Amino acid sequence: MASMQEIRTRINSVKDTMKITNAMYLISSSKLRKARNGRDATAPYFDTLQATINDILIRTPELSSQGLFENREKKDKIKRCFIVVSSDKGLAGAYNHNVFKLVDEKIAAAEDNVDPVNQLILVGHMGLTYFKGRDDVEIDEEHIYPCTDPKMYRAREIAEHMIKLFLEDEVDEIYVAYTKMVNSMVFTPKIMRILPLTRGMFEDAPEMNEGLEEPIFTPSPEEVLQHIVPNYVKGLIYGAIVESFACEQSARMTAMDNATTNAKDMIDELSLIYNRVRQAAITQEITEIVSGAQSTN
Amino acid sequence: MSTFKLEIVATDKVFFRGDAEFVVIPALDGEMGVLAGHDTMVAAVKAGELRYTVNGQTELCAVGDGFAEILGDRVTIICDFAERAVDIDVMRAERAKERAEERIQAKKSQIEFVHSQAALARAMARLKVTSKINKR
Repeated sequence: MASMQEIRTRINSVKDTMKITNAMYLISSSKLRKARNGRDATAPYFDTLQATINDILIRTPELSSQGLFENREKKDKIKRCFIVVSSDKGLAGAYNHNVFKLVDEKIAAAEDNVDPVNQLILVGHMGLTYFKGRDDVEIDEEHIYPCTDPKMYRAREIAEHMIKLFLEDEVDEIYVAYTKMVNSMVFTPKIMRILPLTRGMFEDAPEMNEGLEEPIFTPSPEEVLQHIVPNYVKGLIYGAIVESFACEQSARMTAMDNATTNAKDMIDELSLIYNRVRQAAITQEITEIVSGAQSTN
Repeated sequence: MSTFKLEIVATDKVFFRGDAEFVVIPALDGEMGVLAGHDTMVAAVKAGELRYTVNGQTELCAVGDGFAEILGDRVTIICDFAERAVDIDVMRAERAKERAEERIQAKKSQIEFVHSQAALARAMARLKVTSKINKR
């Protein structure tokens, strides 16, 4: 059995770690409140945006403008691009790993006509550590964005970059991988396609069909779509980052709470062992004294 | 007067959701008024002034870029921001306008020019709406 000194050192070190995890728990719970408020404020926009775009796509028979849609020229090898939203820091349980795993699956499940090398745009620095040095991805290191404190202008920056790549034919399909908050305890990683736009690409969007009249576009379909699509891409990226950020804080809070609970259990267990060892030492000492006294008699 | 369901959703809030009689949207090619029973339509919204009438009361507000879908008796407007005229911070908008103008003057790269122009449009939309309300 370990000596008393050893166990005491061990208990102290667990206590120190517990102080850190507990502090991180408190920090993330206050950050979570802010992130949740932001997420709750943006959620209606995010949902309405998807529903409306979905509806416009269903209603519009021929979308030819700008090659932003499915009927652009087919190539032998489709180049895919993923915007991966993870966190800047770790210690958030499986939060980051779940997103990465989903991206990995999507990369692995490529069909024959897909270029095996996928382009990645990373939001959150953890992605870099995970994907760096792999040969099935190519990371644009000049476009790695922080994910803390989601801001509209950053989403605009990413959206502009994406549309530029898409229109210049650098990439053919753009996806965003993010974490969706189903409720305050359940988060699911999701991959959603942003471009090209196709009918029925939003599986979860609520149906709002009221007849299938074709809409009038004013001034013209081209001009309207030229205006709407960048706005939609930006909105979608913004929504995804806000959603993920709230999940990250929540995941970190749970992880740190678990760590603190585990530390407490460990201290309890170690204290028990410590007391046993102490008791054993005392008993042994008494036995020695008694036997010593007996032998002098 | 017959009404339709109007929904104005900004990135940070649901700005308005309810029955309205009339709405004027700042579309790309000028203002566009919508009454109940309008044809199905999709319009691009540019930063500017938006007015809607509920129970004979007209509310004036500033909206950012976005788009509008008019569908049966429902009008959905999705935009970057939406602010009631009385809530607009005039000082902030003034400063933003000046900054944007300075940047445009400086003649930077094309991308920066587009950004400055968008910022200027947002500031102008806010200021236009507040100046109207002050005149009244």
